Amino acid sequence: MSVLSSINKNIRDRLAGRGATVTAHAVADERLVEDLRSALAPDRVRMDSVGRSLHAKDASVFKGGVAGPTCYPTSTAEVQAIMRISHHHGRAIVPRGAGTGLAGGAIPLGAPVVIAMTKMNEILEVDIDNRVAWVEPGVVNLDLTRYLTPMGFHFAPDPSSQQVCTIGGNVANNSGGPHCLAYGVTNAHVQAMEVVLPDGSVTMLGGLDAEPAGLDLRGVFIGSEGTLGITTKVAVAITKNRPAVKTLLLSFDSVSDAANTVSGIIAAGIVPAALEVMDHKITVAVENYVNAGYPRDAAAVLLAEVDGMEAGIAIDAGRIEEIGLANGATDVRTAKDDEERALLWKGRKTAFGAIAQLAPDYYLHDTVVPRSELANVLVKVYEIADRHDLVVMNVFHAGDGNLHPLLLFDARDEGVMDRVHAAGGEIVQASLDAGGVLSGEHGVGVEKQGYMGKLFSDDDMDHQDRLRKAFDPTCRANPGKVIPIGHSCADIQALRRVPTGVWG
Amino acid sequence: MDLKLDDDELNTCVQCGLCLPHCPTFRVTGDESMSPRGRIHLMREVQLHNAPVTPEVVSSFETCVQCRGCEPACPSSVPYGHLMERTRETLADEGIMTPRWQRLGMKPLAHPKLLATGTKFLSVAQRLNLVPKRLGISAEVPFRQAPLEVSGTDVLMFTGCVMDAWQRDVHQAGQTVLEAAGFGVTPTGDLAPCCGALHAHAGLANDTRSLATSMMAALSQAHFADVPIVVDSAGCGAQMKDYGHLLGTAEAEAFSSRVFDISEFLADHLDKLPRGTPIAERVAIQDPCHLRHVQRVHLATRKVLEVFVDDLVELDDDGLCCGAGGAYSIMQPVLAGQIRDRKVEAIDAKSPDLVASSNPGCSMHLGAAGVPTVHPMELVARAIAG
Amino acid sequence: MNGIVDRGSQLTFGGAVRRFAEEVGSEGPIAVQGARTRWSAGGALKDDGSVRQVNAPTGIVQYKPDEMTIRVGAGTSVADLDQATAEAGQRSALPDRGGTVGGALAVGENDRDVLGRGTVRSAVLQVSYISSEGKIVSGGGPTVKNVSGFDLPRLMVGSLGTLGCLAEVIIRTNPIPPTSQWFRSTADPFDLYDALLAPSAILWDGTATWVHLEGHGADVAAEAARANAMGPIEPVGEPPSPPGPQRWSLTPAGLRSVDTVIDGPFLASIGVGVVWAVTPQPPRGLTQPVQSIHDRMKILFDPTGRLNPGRNPAQK
Repeated sequence: MSVLSSINKNIRDRLAGRGATVTAHAVADERLVEDLRSALAPDRVRMDSVGRSLHAKDASVFKGGVAGPTCYPTSTAEVQAIMRISHHHGRAIVPRGAGTGLAGGAIPLGAPVVIAMTKMNEILEVDIDNRVAWVEPGVVNLDLTRYLTPMGFHFAPDPSSQQVCTIGGNVANNSGGPHCLAYGVTNAHVQAMEVVLPDGSVTMLGGLDAEPAGLDLRGVFIGSEGTLGITTKVAVAITKNRPAVKTLLLSFDSVSDAANTVSGIIAAGIVPAALEVMDHKITVAVENYVNAGYPRDAAAVLLAEVDGMEAGIAIDAGRIEEIGLANGATDVRTAKDDEERALLWKGRKTAFGAIAQLAPDYYLHDTVVPRSELANVLVKVYEIADRHDLVVMNVFHAGDGNLHPLLLFDARDEGVMDRVHAAGGEIVQASLDAGGVLSGEHGVGVEKQGYMGKLFSDDDMDHQDRLRKAFDPTCRANPGKVIPIGHSCADIQALRRVPTGVWG
Repeated sequence: MDLKLDDDELNTCVQCGLCLPHCPTFRVTGDESMSPRGRIHLMREVQLHNAPVTPEVVSSFETCVQCRGCEPACPSSVPYGHLMERTRETLADEGIMTPRWQRLGMKPLAHPKLLATGTKFLSVAQRLNLVPKRLGISAEVPFRQAPLEVSGTDVLMFTGCVMDAWQRDVHQAGQTVLEAAGFGVTPTGDLAPCCGALHAHAGLANDTRSLATSMMAALSQAHFADVPIVVDSAGCGAQMKDYGHLLGTAEAEAFSSRVFDISEFLADHLDKLPRGTPIAERVAIQDPCHLRHVQRVHLATRKVLEVFVDDLVELDDDGLCCGAGGAYSIMQPVLAGQIRDRKVEAIDAKSPDLVASSNPGCSMHLGAAGVPTVHPMELVARAIAG
Repeated sequence: MNGIVDRGSQLTFGGAVRRFAEEVGSEGPIAVQGARTRWSAGGALKDDGSVRQVNAPTGIVQYKPDEMTIRVGAGTSVADLDQATAEAGQRSALPDRGGTVGGALAVGENDRDVLGRGTVRSAVLQVSYISSEGKIVSGGGPTVKNVSGFDLPRLMVGSLGTLGCLAEVIIRTNPIPPTSQWFRSTADPFDLYDALLAPSAILWDGTATWVHLEGHGADVAAEAARANAMGPIEPVGEPPSPPGPQRWSLTPAGLRSVDTVIDGPFLASIGVGVVWAVTPQPPRGLTQPVQSIHDRMKILFDPTGRLNPGRNPAQK
């Protein structure tokens, strides 16, 4: 059995143990729901089978989630009340944004209270002097950038799901996106956050001042996948829009040539705004979908974007073209206007979707390798997929070595999931062997828990566990995630023992 | 319960969530059960895993506006509209959805005389302030309207039910423009009284199919054989273009291929139209969902209006639904109001003098909130008249 | 030897780190001294003669300019780091004040050119430190992008060595811009900050303004012209030295009224909020929940309280 299959099985096994306490559980639920409903409006606490079934999953392939009551708070005070009530009833909580996570980070384990943050979606204030926007966590990433654009600013992280994912989700996953190569990921773009901690206390982490006192708890909180508390208000940094931008599309006869061009560009001292590669299969699929003018006969295409001031980007674009040609580029094209650029990016950002038309299911992986290893690891990825009789397509943030191999399949084919998971495991291993890491932007969630031991020693993970415990000593927030089984907060059965009584 | 959905269609959804921001009910509620992804999940639970059809499940399905804004957003091309129509059909057949009184309410649509009488009654009632505002029925349901005259047989102009009764001046404008481009026009009038769109939304499949069949018979008589059918209501056009799928016959496919939105039709004949005097007011384009998401010919509206309107502006809300949704504004007044508030905000942001929309439902729904709506053809007719 | 295990990944340690782990051991108060350039940060070291003072490993372990990463011993001087990276046309976000890499991370203060070079906390990709129990612990990863597991590197930045003794780190590097020029200006510094696209620094002493522009020569010239239009500018070699040793942390907006907050001469970093002054900033304090997390963090990472006793990250 593959590691991932065993994760799913493990979740099921752990949940299966609940049988004996179901009745008592139901009684406890009634009291819990009663308390939650008196704290929020009754119609914003759902305990019906529909609500629970809908919130048992996210956009990942992982099953086995069981949701408890689902709450839709509209204020910090309500989130605080939910946290306290859940605490009082010995119940864990799981925060949830748009539910687009691919690593199972929002899947509720052990029937916790699900806190859906989608109703807290106001852009509260744009503070130009301090270069921040205060937003509620349910604000959609792209909505924020659209709101800021007329003011001359944008929010830099732009994950491919930016039209739907929320700022709260970006904070939880330290989201990236094509343009984080030059501008950095979410952690570099959040100044301060109001959070509700697992014990129900409310505080600000970080601050608008240059170097807030104490430990960088803001930085630690970002990317913690909902395990350290819940964000209720975020001061995100706003970035000035660049006056000029150039987008180049380079075609190659081999994926290696494209990868070598990427290394060459960085080695030449250029850090473009984005460097994205797509292989032949996915380029054709994308072109069929958007008709952006991507070449159908290239083995790989490189989308390179430089932004800044007119003169400088002209120099950089020229050098990128030279480096590309020196590395065997068969064609170099520059988007002639915003419309063409938008179309090229639409193709890149909907790539996963375009593939979904070719097969009913796909598994999107996310690992990072050193840039110089891109070509070698890609060869291995193709080999691995071949060996497991799967179709793989590669589209990736080449600039920072972030691979996104897509395995295509039909889940109704018998035994296919085992092959998919086995291939996935080998891809992760190949990335680690090349000196890479488990995840560039999707997070660990439940997906990569089983691989943590391949990147970190027991001592390393023990210290990660300590960090978590400093925020959440009793494992109330999103238990069962990130840190692998065997460590305290990974064991959701532990929750059955604390604190007292409520389980009857 | 077997919802009689196609397993393949149901399994196309990979639950990625990219549809969520394009769904008007999710936008205003943030509630997963009011999102396309959530509704498909529930269809699966009911059909594949035998989940009970609880009131919450029904509510999830009933709150769908059926704007199909999720379809163009869906990278997997899930045929959501068909899934929802079939689901409603099954639940209506089971007596779970679309109660009897609502079905009765649909009856007059296929009967012009009955509708005309009802309209006169409504008109009087409105003037006596007997009609609640929230129903979203436009301020001026006309008491009596001038008839449309046949001017030739180059094109058939579909006049429909509610629209013909309440907004005949729009048809009049459309006919004027078609004639100005040199086409002889036959208004369909009582020949083809109703397209069945509202019935389809309500899950009344048998009524829908029988209306489609009789319309096809009427408009495919020998002397109309290959005559294009031009429609100035986006909802009707979308429904008539779907007959091929609805009836699954070659004949229906052929019929559907003759159907054009009026702007779609005119976009190819702009050179034949006199230019007249351009409209001076600022006009915002509000795309009806059935034009943008279902027919996907909303760009034609721009192509036509650009010629006749100097100050044409776009709304910045990605073509999100206005909440009218056929009878939706009557069935779900609270949600429809919240969705409309969002739309009105997007309109206000552009401060237009007029809002061009080519669907009677949208116009009435927005009009009830004080938005000055106008049909694109009324603008073109005005410009041509100079 | 604890902690020296095959991590499955490529991360193995040379003799220097192992010897450092042995030296730190698991008992008795200990402090890593670095170059003592910010020795007073966070309060005085416990002064009863019991605290052993040790030095972290030095030297560049591996530099990969193509990856924009450099792995160095924490005891390496920032000057040596700068020299190594400069040879490949790169630099890091770490400020050179005569100290060590580990010291710069432990204190966590950003460079004067933070707008152009980025923050110290964002530059640290991977940390390896010796825990209170004497084990080698690592967090983060060697790649420029990584969200695998909890962010121990962020925790270490600014922790003043109270949670672990930094042994070895991987730092992100960036290309050195082709042109770099300081200008003195008479324009309003806040207007300049609004007008310029991406200055590396704007300093203001209440009267004059200094602007640091970096990038392609043509871009720098265009930005300089834009600045000049707002008030005459002249190229200068270096901006003025800070008027005093004290470092304040204010909000960028708060700088508009900095003269009402700080007595005496000051030099403010516009758009950032750092102010150098003669008088010290009053203690800022922590909220009660944040203080609780600090307390728990210290107990969990250093149960015996042996790491850098006397120092408190909240009192930097």
